[in-house]
Amino acid sequence: MSNVINASRLTLAYDNGRKEIIKNANFTIKKGEFVFITGPSGSGKSTLLKALYGALKPTGGNLIVGAHDLATIRTGKLQELRTHLGIIFQDYKLVNEWTVAKNVILPLMIAGYSVDVQNTQAQRLLKHVRLTEHAERYPLELSGGEQQRVGVARALAKNPVVILADEPTGNLDDYSSNVIWDLMENACQQLETTVLVVTHKIPTIFSLPYRHFIIESKGVYEVH
Amino acid sequence: MKFIKNHLMFILPLMAILLGIEFYLVFDRTTDSYEKGLKEGYSMFVVSSIPMELDSFKERNAHIENVEAIKRQDVVNDIVKGISKENEKEILGALPYFYNIRLDAYVNTSELEKIKSDLKEDPNIKRVETFGSSYSSAYRLFSFIKFILKLFIGFMAIVSLFLIIKQMEIWKYSHKQRMQVMEIFGAPLMLRSGILFKVAVIDAIFATMITAFIFLYVKFQWAAESGIEIMMKNQENLFRLSDIGILLGAALLIVIVAVYSVVFSSSGVEE
Repeated sequence: MSNVINASRLTLAYDNGRKEIIKNANFTIKKGEFVFITGPSGSGKSTLLKALYGALKPTGGNLIVGAHDLATIRTGKLQELRTHLGIIFQDYKLVNEWTVAKNVILPLMIAGYSVDVQNTQAQRLLKHVRLTEHAERYPLELSGGEQQRVGVARALAKNPVVILADEPTGNLDDYSSNVIWDLMENACQQLETTVLVVTHKIPTIFSLPYRHFIIESKGVYEVH
Repeated sequence: MKFIKNHLMFILPLMAILLGIEFYLVFDRTTDSYEKGLKEGYSMFVVSSIPMELDSFKERNAHIENVEAIKRQDVVNDIVKGISKENEKEILGALPYFYNIRLDAYVNTSELEKIKSDLKEDPNIKRVETFGSSYSSAYRLFSFIKFILKLFIGFMAIVSLFLIIKQMEIWKYSHKQRMQVMEIFGAPLMLRSGILFKVAVIDAIFATMITAFIFLYVKFQWAAESGIEIMMKNQENLFRLSDIGILLGAALLIVIVAVYSVVFSSSGVEE
């Protein structure tokens, strides 16, 4: 299977390169793989994820996602790349003044799909995350677990090539966490989406084969 | 209520700027016609030993627009009452040539002095009278009024600009989350700022319409019925149809700058 993500001698830093978080990391991730990234707090898990969706430019090496090198990518291409990614955040990052349905179809709006397609997809996605009855409600009227399901539905809206999830269950109870893991497993299994999850703890009940990377002392190492 | 307040907070300072611009336009047109009146009412007096033509004056200074020779016979007639014809002829022969000189603009006093010295360089010109003191006081008063009004308009514009910046900060706060989320999912700048633009452009149109309406009311109702001579005389200058274009252009420019300042300061994903 082809590589979807390829990092070679990747260095990530803040403060104009003064504060290095990851140094000379090498790894590749193939299409359809489920990957967990763990590590102690402040080790750089979220930083790596930010680099993967282009919110932080590598200060050294290469980070290729799809066909784009994020070290040299231009704004227009970055926008295009982001439309092929599904991103899930610990704090959900929903637009609070939009309804649940509108939040879910955001990637479709950006891609310029017709209103009919958007509405059909919204119904399908909300059914998939079991939130059909909440379509016209606003995010702040929902529980944390429900909001994260909206976030997952939004991430899946455009059948992304890669799903990047930053502590997706960090704020959720066990039941809601299991629902989220199920949804992501399904996406990986059925749609062959590459899923990359940053988490503190790998879930105990997880049916899919997965790869596990750990970030420690500025390095990214695979755990076998 | 919040919706109306949000719009008014942008429309009112924008209107203050537009009112300032329109005041400036009206003032500029009115002072132009006043300046024209002052210019037409002003002339320099020149005494020359030989007859001179307009071109020879113009060679000395380009501001000289027109020359009117004062008939020497008229001057003699005023002073020869009771004097014999022979003496009158002698006086006429000895009399220099008198000219009234008109300028092409209402120049400042230093420019006036320069014209005087340029003319005096001609050996045939014996005397130049600029009536400097009356000219200077009229010019100073005129300049003072012009300066005060421009200062007031400038001050109004600065205060309004600060109010708009304040409103932009409120907009930035209320739109930041949406714009950042849209940016993460790859929305281009125009799509991210689309809603903001729509709101701001509508506000700009409203502000322009209200400002135009105020001036149209002043022009056709208030000025016509005021009985104030200067108002009635300058009624045509109070508002012109082309002003709507200028006001709308200025309002849209302010809106574009304001919206882009919000959009760019909101871009970048939060930690």
